Amino acid sequence: MSKPDYVQIVEEMFAKTKDKPTKDFTYLGKHVVRWDAISKIMGKPLFTADMINLFKNAVFVHSVRSKYAHAKIKKIDYSEALKYPGVLKVITARDIPGINDVGYVLPDQPLLADRKVRFIGDTVALIVAESLENARDAGELVNVDYEPLPVYTDVLQVIELNGLTEKEHVLIHDERGSDVLSRYKIRVGDVEKAFKEASVVVENEYRTPMQEHAYLEPEAAIAIPEPDGSVTIYAKTQCPFDTRRAVSNVLGLPFNMVRVVAPALGGGFGGAEDVGNEIAAKAALAALALKRTAVVLHTREESIIGHTKRHPMVAKYRHAASKDGTLLAVDADIVLDTGAYASLGPFVGWRAVVHSTGPYKVRNARVDLAVVYTNRIPAGAFRGFGNPQVTFAVERQMDLLAEELGMDPVEFRLKNILRNGDRTVHGQLLDHGVGLEDAIKRALEISGWSEKRKLYSTLKGPARRGIGIALMYHGNSIGAEGADFSTVSLIIQRDGSIIFRTGLTDMGQGSLQGLVNIAAEILGVPPSYFKIEPSDTAATPDAGPTVASRSTAMGGNATLVAAYKIRQRLNKLAAEMLGCASPEDVVIEAPKVYCKDQPEHHITWKELIEQTFWKGIPIQEFGYYRAPPAEWHEETGTGQPYFTYTFGAVVSDVEVDIETGLTKVVEATVVYDIGRVVNRTGAEHHGVGGYIQGMGYALMEDTVHSENGHVYSTSFSTYHIPTGLDIPERINVDFVEAGFIRGPFGAKGLGEPSIVAIAPSIVNAIAHAIGSKQANRLLNRIPATPDFVRGVLKRAGLAR
Amino acid sequence: MSFKINLKVNGKEHVLEVPAHERLVDTLRYRLGLTSVKEGCGRGECGTCIVLVNGLPKHSCLTLTATLDGAEVLTLEGLAPEGKLHAIQLAYLETRGVQCGFCTPGFMMMTKALLDTHPEPQQEQVKEWLSSVLCRCGSYHYYFAAAKLAAKYIKEGKIYLDEKQVREKYHMKVIGR
Repeated sequence: MSKPDYVQIVEEMFAKTKDKPTKDFTYLGKHVVRWDAISKIMGKPLFTADMINLFKNAVFVHSVRSKYAHAKIKKIDYSEALKYPGVLKVITARDIPGINDVGYVLPDQPLLADRKVRFIGDTVALIVAESLENARDAGELVNVDYEPLPVYTDVLQVIELNGLTEKEHVLIHDERGSDVLSRYKIRVGDVEKAFKEASVVVENEYRTPMQEHAYLEPEAAIAIPEPDGSVTIYAKTQCPFDTRRAVSNVLGLPFNMVRVVAPALGGGFGGAEDVGNEIAAKAALAALALKRTAVVLHTREESIIGHTKRHPMVAKYRHAASKDGTLLAVDADIVLDTGAYASLGPFVGWRAVVHSTGPYKVRNARVDLAVVYTNRIPAGAFRGFGNPQVTFAVERQMDLLAEELGMDPVEFRLKNILRNGDRTVHGQLLDHGVGLEDAIKRALEISGWSEKRKLYSTLKGPARRGIGIALMYHGNSIGAEGADFSTVSLIIQRDGSIIFRTGLTDMGQGSLQGLVNIAAEILGVPPSYFKIEPSDTAATPDAGPTVASRSTAMGGNATLVAAYKIRQRLNKLAAEMLGCASPEDVVIEAPKVYCKDQPEHHITWKELIEQTFWKGIPIQEFGYYRAPPAEWHEETGTGQPYFTYTFGAVVSDVEVDIETGLTKVVEATVVYDIGRVVNRTGAEHHGVGGYIQGMGYALMEDTVHSENGHVYSTSFSTYHIPTGLDIPERINVDFVEAGFIRGPFGAKGLGEPSIVAIAPSIVNAIAHAIGSKQANRLLNRIPATPDFVRGVLKRAGLAR
Repeated sequence: MSFKINLKVNGKEHVLEVPAHERLVDTLRYRLGLTSVKEGCGRGECGTCIVLVNGLPKHSCLTLTATLDGAEVLTLEGLAPEGKLHAIQLAYLETRGVQCGFCTPGFMMMTKALLDTHPEPQQEQVKEWLSSVLCRCGSYHYYFAAAKLAAKYIKEGKIYLDEKQVREKYHMKVIGR
């Protein structure tokens, strides 16, 4: 079978440009001012809630949440609420015209709880009123007769860590017959034999917290009933096409009767994925029931209890190595807590197992992973998607192994990392650029690793310094999780300006600027010629979800294909108009178009475009790219899970106060191999922003549940994210460009990778600062809050 | 119960009849349509709703409008006259920190308050003042740099710039190295 044309085009462009230094491109890899920057500094972009003003006579929808984290619903009485001033309607599960479900991967999550509630944020009824205040007040008058059930807030109440057997308990999902959502494994080589032959074995248990996205824009959705019975929804969502699917399901309407538009987004990080479905469906239900525009607006408290989080992990890892520092085997049991509903849990579990041995050559591995329900807030997608959890454990283990072997942690890692030509633990051959070694070397150089590592080891006194390293790799795009394609459309207007459309959203990171840079580079026009249309299911092509670090790699390829096809046609026409020897000789440097050897004789871009209309040459193009099929063998955990990986090395330099346990990151260095820098500003933002978010994960963030499943940390005074005073003095960001034949100009993704290795690098640095073998083993949990670190110091006999 | 008050917002006088419990953030956003003012938490923790009231930074989510009779309020919409951009805005553009943009108005109003009281702020002062606004995208370093650049521009007398010229100069152009 021959290759599809879009694969050929991407490969051809890579081959042509792989040796061209990024600095020689015009827009690629440059600091381009993003298209919305000027409107943003003027405070102009309209986020969903800002649009409420534009609609007169809207109704407001308030979600009545559960009183218990786990209970049967016997009866819902809302007669009192209906009498409250301004209340127009109360909607319960019985009023749903379609299917009462907003589950992402599995149909396990009712939009409105009917039979039972499974966490404290479950919605039992919607109050629709003339004002949000009245709707909220009336919510207090909904009387639900509950039969409380036992509440599980720790996965180990549901499953045994050793052997991952499910414990006897009252089922949260009785309809499924088990609270183990999914299981994954890796079986490679002979683990038992490797452990017998090992000189060093290191074993430890790890725990990671339930991190909250804490995007600053709380959720909002506005639904407008249309005259033909369809509905238009503006909602905070990073995946408008998925939101449309969910809303269609709930309303029982075909896709073409539901239109979802994503306005400006105030952050997403994966958290605007499934909650978008829920809020949009709630608004749409009310809008169609009342034939009036309906608004859903979350407070920060509702946002925190209402949207999914990062999966907490409990894991036991055993690593074996030989005397010379060769990694021999990995043996692990891992449990991820998906909370009350699956959301993206099955996919997160899969990504976690794929990455569960880190970016190392591992020939013997036994890994078992279970994703388990509890009565906590559901966990879903969050930047990193299962990888930060396992990478924390693996990278801590690497430091412990190095210590046992008496080696420098870098030396030990360099002995075992994946390089070009190696196979991953899944047996996947890495036959293209693997820039991990270069990334490590550059990170060491920039951070001054060697001198600092030596110097800090000699420090005594209450304020200690430590420097730590962690490595990561991260599969690009969604791999074997689903249909992995992307699309864009480029429409050149008669005046030469260009409309750029894609169903991918920009959550704030500026990824769409990268796509425009690609189109601009190929067409030979400045980025300012482009207008980016907002993602809208009625106007932009379905580009797949905006997740999994796929915008630049997948959307970039689709853009490259579209721009390439238009450029071919323009070259042919321009060659005719100018009399160039070959279409290849046409140079477009808009507004000038000329033959390579005759720059003084030129026509203008506008003239060229005008001519396409007279000659009947289409200058609209739909770019499509489908990732190479992924392959995964369930029984062994082998195959080709992702088409490529982003690699990275992170060095953190910390100061630990031995008396209080308080850790401050002083300086950080991150170096990522992203194949090719396409959007330099955006890439730097990921480097810095991913570090700061990862630092929060490492040092302060956890969504704390009480034993009965109530959430304690529902505000920014109880859920702490890093402020301007917490950040390091300097975060050095650099890139390795090892190239990838199937990326646009060789580019790979960076959104998620940027958070993966931050936490272990910081905790490794804390361990170095403390300098005690015993403490090193006890530092097995994040967030490493001052009280936790102080506890470690006490147990290690270093503090009173 | 409602109160009739006089309020000067971005230089324009308004006579408003507001209920006793109406918050300034709602008055500005929903009554006057000044949507640069964002609400991120509603409890004075995130700083995205900060505006200047009589020249001082205030969380508009914690301020009752009825208490502001005769006060002057400044939001990002009023930072520069129509058709102009303020040096602070140019500095935020040039240091390239803007990501999702939800916290940016709060940061810029805080920067304005800082520079009005400390025309040549030390790094520690910049950090202290601006740490009252949260940014989850992680643009803090860029915003600190912007505050210092803005101070430099203001000192040089470059306070208001022509919006059209700035657009022509920077709209999707390559800047920096």
